[in-house]
Amino acid sequence: MTLVRERTGLAAAPAGRGTPPGRAERVRRHLSRYWQLWVLLLPAIGFTAVFAYVPMYGIQLAFREFDFQAGLTGGRWVGLKYFEIFFDSPMFGTVLRNTLTISIATLVVGFLAPIALALVINQIVNATRKRFMQTATYLPHFISIVVVVGMLQVLLNPSNGTVTRLFSGFGLDLDLLGDPDLFVPVYVISEVWQHCGWNSIIYLAALASVDTQLYEAARIDGANRLHLIRHVDIPALVPTMIILFILTMGGVLSTGFEKIWLMQNALNLPVSEVIATYTYRIGILGNQFSLGTAIGLFNTLINFLFLVVTNWLAKKFADTSLW
Amino acid sequence: MMSRTHRAGAVLATGALLLTGCTGGGDSSGAADGTVDILVVKHGLTGPMADMGWVADLEKKAGVKIRWEEVSADWSQKKATMLAAGEVPDLIVGGNAVTNADLATYSSLFEDLSDDLDALPNVQGMLDSHAELAAMATRSSGEVYALPSYRRYWPETISRQYVNQEWLDNLGLDVPTTWDELFDVLVAFKEQDANGNGDPDDEIPWDWNPVDPAGFAAGQPTMLLSGLGLPTTYGGGQGYVVEDGKVLNFLVDERYREVIEFTHRAYAAGLVSKQVMTQDYSAFQSVGRGDGDVAKVGFSWGWTASDRFGARLADQYTSTAPLEAEAGQSTPVTWNYDTENFSPNHIVMSADTADRDGALAVIDAFYDPEISVQVLWGDLGTNVERDGDGYTVLPPADENSDPSTWKWTTTLADAGPHWIRDDVDVEPPADLAEATEQSEPLREALANVDPDTDIYPFKYVNISTEDQSTITLNDTTVLNLAMTAFGRWVTEGGVEEEWDDYVAQLESAGLPQNVEIYQRYYDEYVASRS
Amino acid sequence: MKRLSALRARTPGDIAFSVVLAVVCAVILFVTIYPLWFVAIASISEPRLVATGQVTFLPQNISLFGYEQIFADERIWTGYRNTVVYTVVGTALNMVVTLPAAFALSRREFRPRRALMLFFAFTMFFSGGLIPQYLLYRDIGLLDNWLVFVLPTALNVYNLIIARAFFENALPEELFEAATLDGVDYFRYFLNIALPLSKAIVSVIALYYLVQHWNDFFTGLIFVRDYQLQPLQIVLRDILLSNQAFAGGAGGAGGSGGAYGQDFADQIKYGVIIVSTLPVLLLYPFLQKYFEKGVMIGSVKG
Repeated sequence: MTLVRERTGLAAAPAGRGTPPGRAERVRRHLSRYWQLWVLLLPAIGFTAVFAYVPMYGIQLAFREFDFQAGLTGGRWVGLKYFEIFFDSPMFGTVLRNTLTISIATLVVGFLAPIALALVINQIVNATRKRFMQTATYLPHFISIVVVVGMLQVLLNPSNGTVTRLFSGFGLDLDLLGDPDLFVPVYVISEVWQHCGWNSIIYLAALASVDTQLYEAARIDGANRLHLIRHVDIPALVPTMIILFILTMGGVLSTGFEKIWLMQNALNLPVSEVIATYTYRIGILGNQFSLGTAIGLFNTLINFLFLVVTNWLAKKFADTSLW
Repeated sequence: MMSRTHRAGAVLATGALLLTGCTGGGDSSGAADGTVDILVVKHGLTGPMADMGWVADLEKKAGVKIRWEEVSADWSQKKATMLAAGEVPDLIVGGNAVTNADLATYSSLFEDLSDDLDALPNVQGMLDSHAELAAMATRSSGEVYALPSYRRYWPETISRQYVNQEWLDNLGLDVPTTWDELFDVLVAFKEQDANGNGDPDDEIPWDWNPVDPAGFAAGQPTMLLSGLGLPTTYGGGQGYVVEDGKVLNFLVDERYREVIEFTHRAYAAGLVSKQVMTQDYSAFQSVGRGDGDVAKVGFSWGWTASDRFGARLADQYTSTAPLEAEAGQSTPVTWNYDTENFSPNHIVMSADTADRDGALAVIDAFYDPEISVQVLWGDLGTNVERDGDGYTVLPPADENSDPSTWKWTTTLADAGPHWIRDDVDVEPPADLAEATEQSEPLREALANVDPDTDIYPFKYVNISTEDQSTITLNDTTVLNLAMTAFGRWVTEGGVEEEWDDYVAQLESAGLPQNVEIYQRYYDEYVASRS
Repeated sequence: MKRLSALRARTPGDIAFSVVLAVVCAVILFVTIYPLWFVAIASISEPRLVATGQVTFLPQNISLFGYEQIFADERIWTGYRNTVVYTVVGTALNMVVTLPAAFALSRREFRPRRALMLFFAFTMFFSGGLIPQYLLYRDIGLLDNWLVFVLPTALNVYNLIIARAFFENALPEELFEAATLDGVDYFRYFLNIALPLSKAIVSVIALYYLVQHWNDFFTGLIFVRDYQLQPLQIVLRDILLSNQAFAGGAGGAGGSGGAYGQDFADQIKYGVIIVSTLPVLLLYPFLQKYFEKGVMIGSVKG
């Protein structure tokens, strides 16, 4: 029937016709079938082309000497000079290692926590209480970083912080702000605390579209609520999980700058100096556009690589992917 | 029933129609006659320019109308984009708002004022009055892009040393004069009930200003270097100092090691605040203010007693002379020496203004005798009043405020361009008077510091962009290693065992290269002054 | 409601589950709410007590000074107004741009979709940087123009990907087949069937965009110099950061206002969050009901 052929895109060419359709013919046919989709896509493509692709020529700044008189693209071509400066710096290894540690820890915990939270909240039967939990957990997302770090300073204060006192009540004497070994846990946990609720929204929306008949059917088969979670909820989340996982892998070298900058002190510096803060320090006395662009480019290249690899893996093993 | 998309589209269209009427902006680049656009970078506390009375005086004197663009936050990000896109308003005003690095990179954007000095008599007068001012303003190739400010009455150091006299009296102790005496006093503070509130354990004997990973600042243990005869400026910064014409970095100097050993000894004995490495500045200041009438801190450094400990507890503290490292040593003690009366780069002019004469007139008007006083301390009549040929700075009109905060709230204060002439007498405000008075015990030590040969002229040398990048790149590694070591050695110890490796590490991180660069500029500077 | 009844406790195992659930939720609530409660009480307590850890569960030495300072600044009201306008117009544009595109990309029979996805995803990582953007906006007249808050951010690729994933997975193919028996009309399918059934994802994307607009301070910082156009975040950031000015350096430096200013700074710091987030917090519960209405796909099926 026409419908099937339409959808599979097979041309309605009777067998035995001579030459296969030419390029122009194929394009015309494609357009006549899918012009509506192209119209739907037009605004998005337009905005992206203008606002994202037009300025992209600026990337070449990573390979040129920034010379203001000559304009943005007029500087002398220096190839990989600034990349080499970055790679040769004694700080490179430390900074890369710290960035990866913090990033990956945040990634893993930050990926799993919202899922768990969504599953928990979804189980709440009373609609009002459910709504209350949802609102309460996403509130921290809106607090500015400056304030979050300020709060950390007060709550984790070695002598009189509430959290410190709580821990010592359990017999643990922790220097939560000074001990370099605790920097990453404190950072990650505060990150998760702040964004978990917000990130769970997308999972909650996915769970809201779960077919209620599935619950009924499972119950009839004798499932208890844990079973419901395992066999109904989680499978419903898998496609979303995979997409979000691919996207988070694309952030592997991106730690937030501001929070780490505010949390750094002389004691945790060996583990808290990351690419972002290092770049800021170097640039701080000014105008090192080329170096900054080069480091930024390095950063995004690695991120993109991870994204591509993860996407490929997802396509291979889970049949879901970005492209 | 309209689908969601249709509804959204309608909203969008209506919104756009409604709002095109409300576009602000429009073009604004000083095109109008007799209008000068000034971008002013203010301190966070400073109120709107419209509230400052002297602005009217400025406009009248220059014969123009001023349009202000006021920036109090995130200036460096805004600036980077503006300059790189080649956009500069007629004038940019602010304390080092446009830095030497910016001037080097974007020199074509700014007006070279060296050939406009005929139109700027006040400026010429200022540059002639002190050689340092001309040095600050002039680039190595002779151009003058940015003008400095000069004021008087600031003490020669921004840090004074305080010990709680009441505690000393309560325990029958004398003001310490050496490191060992300090140690004993601190032990007494810790073990006994020094503040007399019945609790022997709530005293913090020694607290200092939080140390930033980017280097040292005033009020930190590097103040003790004075006891070993090594003067610092602004707390030591990245460690570069000059001694007998030779530039060195104290981060690899034996004297710094001694300071660390002493500090660690004190820390290990529980004489230092446990939060000293992790607290932020606001916590540091809060702790200093104690609890009502009960003081919490025994020994610390600060700008003035009122600033450091709050008005309520200020009287409990006395400022003291620098401590000798060892009793009866032969090396004379020095003290941290600062040059607060001079500051660079307060005003720049665009190379491309519509109204050149107007802009130049505004610049010169800033440095007019009476306007300068008002820029620094506030309006005539409310903040300042005439006193014969001179002026008196009045106490704050708001009783709840203090002189410093009041100044910063009501005018541009130190950030604005100003020249307080040497022959004009000003009765300084209470905070400056307090600072001067409390600097008495430091007088002898400061006399041992010859600013010409003992202090590196950071403010007066103009380092090239290339050299500055090298310095910054090396320093980032050096300081990462040094500040981490500082933190570890003070809290855990180990400076004796690790010192040699540490020095080797710093030297291979590019420290000698930086020292050599700084030496080169120092030699040039000395040569140019003779 | 169907779903909820399926979860109602039936066996002792279920009751145990409910109890554990309640405990877990209580802990989560406490951990999440306490710091926020702390922010609220800190915004009206004496800053010195806050900084020395003496404010734990109740405000101390209540004073509304922080709020007075914030609301005395009349720029706040301009800021609020601007932000509301930019958010409403911006989000509307976002929806018009994103949802149709996400739908189009979700159609498996549409071959170019792979290439297009790459076209979009590439821009999440690689960007020319701030200066080329600035020059572009200058050339097309977006500087100091309110549209700069709305147009450049018309499409967020992350949101596009999420929306596309939803369309791909939550809409069964049978629906499409049924709707296009008389011929494929993507417009009609999208507007009359796909959208109404996707209230959950539409709400989520709308919320994401809304919050992105609400929190945007960077645009105003770099591309707008006219203060009349600035949104709330800029005004608040001014107030907040300027009061943090002391946090960086030593108190000396020629009397930088020292710690007296610090007293104000901390109260304002906390008050600012409350002021800036309250409107959004109040909005969310209204959007939440769409999550629950969900997709009644089961009733469409067979």
